[in-house]
Amino acid sequence: MADFYFRPRLGKDPLMRYVPAALMSDGTPRKIRGIVWIVLGAVLAISLVAYAVFTATRPAPAALQSPAKNVIYLLGDGMGRSHVTAARERYYGAEGRLVMESLPSHGSVSTYSVEKNSGQPGQAGFVPELVTASPAAATAFASGVKTYNTAIGVDAKGVVVPTIMELAKQAGYRTGNVSTAEVTDATPAGQMSHVLARGCQGPDYSADACQDTDVTGDKLPTSDVRVTPIADQIARNGTADVIFGGGMARFDAKDESALKEQGYSILGSVSSRIPATRADLNGASGEKVFGLFNTGNLTLEKAKKDNPDKPQAEEPSLQEMTQKAIELLNQDQSNGKGFYLQVEGALIDKRSHDNDAAQTLDEVKAFDDAVAAALDFAKRDGNTLVIVTADHETGGFNIIEKGSFTNAEAAGPPPNVDFGNSANSSTPTRNGGNFKDEERSTGIINGEGSEDPKNFGPATFRTPNDPSDVKDGSKEASLWLSYASGNHTGADVPIYAYGPGAEQLQGSVDNTDLFDIVGQALRVLR
Amino acid sequence: MNRKPWILLMAALAAASLAVLASAGLGGRASAPAPGAGSVPQASAAAKTTFPGLVSAEGEPDLAGLRTARPAPGQILEIQGPFDDRILFQDLAFDGQAATGAVRVTSDVSDLLELQVLAGFYDDRGNLLGTARFVHHLGTEGHAHSGPSEEGEEFSIPVPAGLAPHAVSAAVGVPVLVNE
Repeated sequence: MADFYFRPRLGKDPLMRYVPAALMSDGTPRKIRGIVWIVLGAVLAISLVAYAVFTATRPAPAALQSPAKNVIYLLGDGMGRSHVTAARERYYGAEGRLVMESLPSHGSVSTYSVEKNSGQPGQAGFVPELVTASPAAATAFASGVKTYNTAIGVDAKGVVVPTIMELAKQAGYRTGNVSTAEVTDATPAGQMSHVLARGCQGPDYSADACQDTDVTGDKLPTSDVRVTPIADQIARNGTADVIFGGGMARFDAKDESALKEQGYSILGSVSSRIPATRADLNGASGEKVFGLFNTGNLTLEKAKKDNPDKPQAEEPSLQEMTQKAIELLNQDQSNGKGFYLQVEGALIDKRSHDNDAAQTLDEVKAFDDAVAAALDFAKRDGNTLVIVTADHETGGFNIIEKGSFTNAEAAGPPPNVDFGNSANSSTPTRNGGNFKDEERSTGIINGEGSEDPKNFGPATFRTPNDPSDVKDGSKEASLWLSYASGNHTGADVPIYAYGPGAEQLQGSVDNTDLFDIVGQALRVLR
Repeated sequence: MNRKPWILLMAALAAASLAVLASAGLGGRASAPAPGAGSVPQASAAAKTTFPGLVSAEGEPDLAGLRTARPAPGQILEIQGPFDDRILFQDLAFDGQAATGAVRVTSDVSDLLELQVLAGFYDDRGNLLGTARFVHHLGTEGHAHSGPSEEGEEFSIPVPAGLAPHAVSAAVGVPVLVNE
């Protein structure tokens, strides 16, 4: 090889074989060879440098093909597939569609969490928890790690993990966090705080609410962020430029001062415990706005409609808060960056815990109205990724056949026996008993059975397909709904998306994947 | 031996090496990691973990109203706290040994995660002698039910040893409540 490179011989060296003989004649061969080597070296170096520059600057094949300027991430807390279907049928009829269902990309999200001190999936010591809770789910999509059910912004071993909202803020994006819950509750807190225990919300620290020695061994000093009440963190970390929701009781006068020092406009008065109103929201301006509209969670839409004279009727809807947040975040920015906004419809979960189908449906509709506001902006903007999903399913909510009954109403489970066909042997074998037990089912729960607190009957609702005289709570209503539980379930949840990068949400993803997808869309992950 | 080709080749190889290094370094930044594998730039800087000016908590939460309350002998008062609009005290009593009663959460009660009831005990002139507290922390007890009990969370806060001979009245309030 050395001879080939350094002592080329005419007719044998393939590189030199076609060099005109004149150039290799006596007098100048060394100079010519030198020139040839220089040219070859330069060409090689330039080619490689050009390749490096090309590969460094070309778009990657997946997420970065179409990065979004803005991302709006909307989450219906506890909203499973049946919540969506039931709300669609309730408000738009069997052939209708909720706004979220009109988004072009549809998929599903797995939601499992892990036990305390677990490794991550694929790592040693991985111990999955099949049914998640909002804190672990929020940490999964906000920070891309699995954690235990009461943790926020830390992994299963208690290590602080940054959130998409923090990364977006650091990268120069404007950021917003909107919820119908207290803003210290799991989903909003999952983007702007880091605590070992979800109960560490404030206004004050308490060891039982904030420490978790199962994870840390010894108690942490109270200066550690992981035991610092969430309200104290939110009021001081500036992670979200726009914060709308409930939970004024979590904040105190010192928090209000800290917010003002960072330039936030405060709607209402934290120190005087005066919640903000719709009018305050409508008049809000500036780059940083902090508006809490209730001392606790916001009021249910149905309760506001039924009580128009109460102060709570002055609370804005989720749609109104979303529209205002978009308006504030979309103001001109000198750095050309867009915004990241998270919006949570929290009360779907809370009503589902209580097996309150009527208000569950109303809250799904209110959430869908917020989706409409986001989608409307995204269509006008043309460069906004809208993602609509849930953190988990709550209640085992389901649609049962009109006129049928559920297991909870029955004297026994369905029969499971195969007479005369050993190939279908049933386990366990059960004979009859699957009839409606009048002790357990005293009628439709939002109708004739509404006075019985131990009634497992279904709730029924009219739909636009029903004749006009059909009432909610009647046997004639076509939408029959039931719950399996008062807690979360492990069912996958739906996901819908619109805009640049939405195609990545076709099919099945895990909730931790959402961190990567949003992070890449905003170019805050490498 | 002619050294020029050597030198030229070494220069070319060096340039090529630099180019490859540049490709690896710059190209790696632009490539999109698979879902679940996103790397986080400057993570520690993104998450704010210190808050200048925030005074770290010392001990358990207090209620300022305990210091101004003047319950009459045999009386038990309710003290203002941050969550009064979402709780009701029921069956409050003080028998000289303990402050007892129940806290009923009146809003969003799918689960009662955290509850503290703080009690102050007073002498016969209404002076605060000391405090004690009841703590409910979900997870430290069995969870065979969904949500708080219908009757409310019952509590009993014994008068601390040493105060009992002098404690003739009490006041209670709720400094910690997390429900969903």
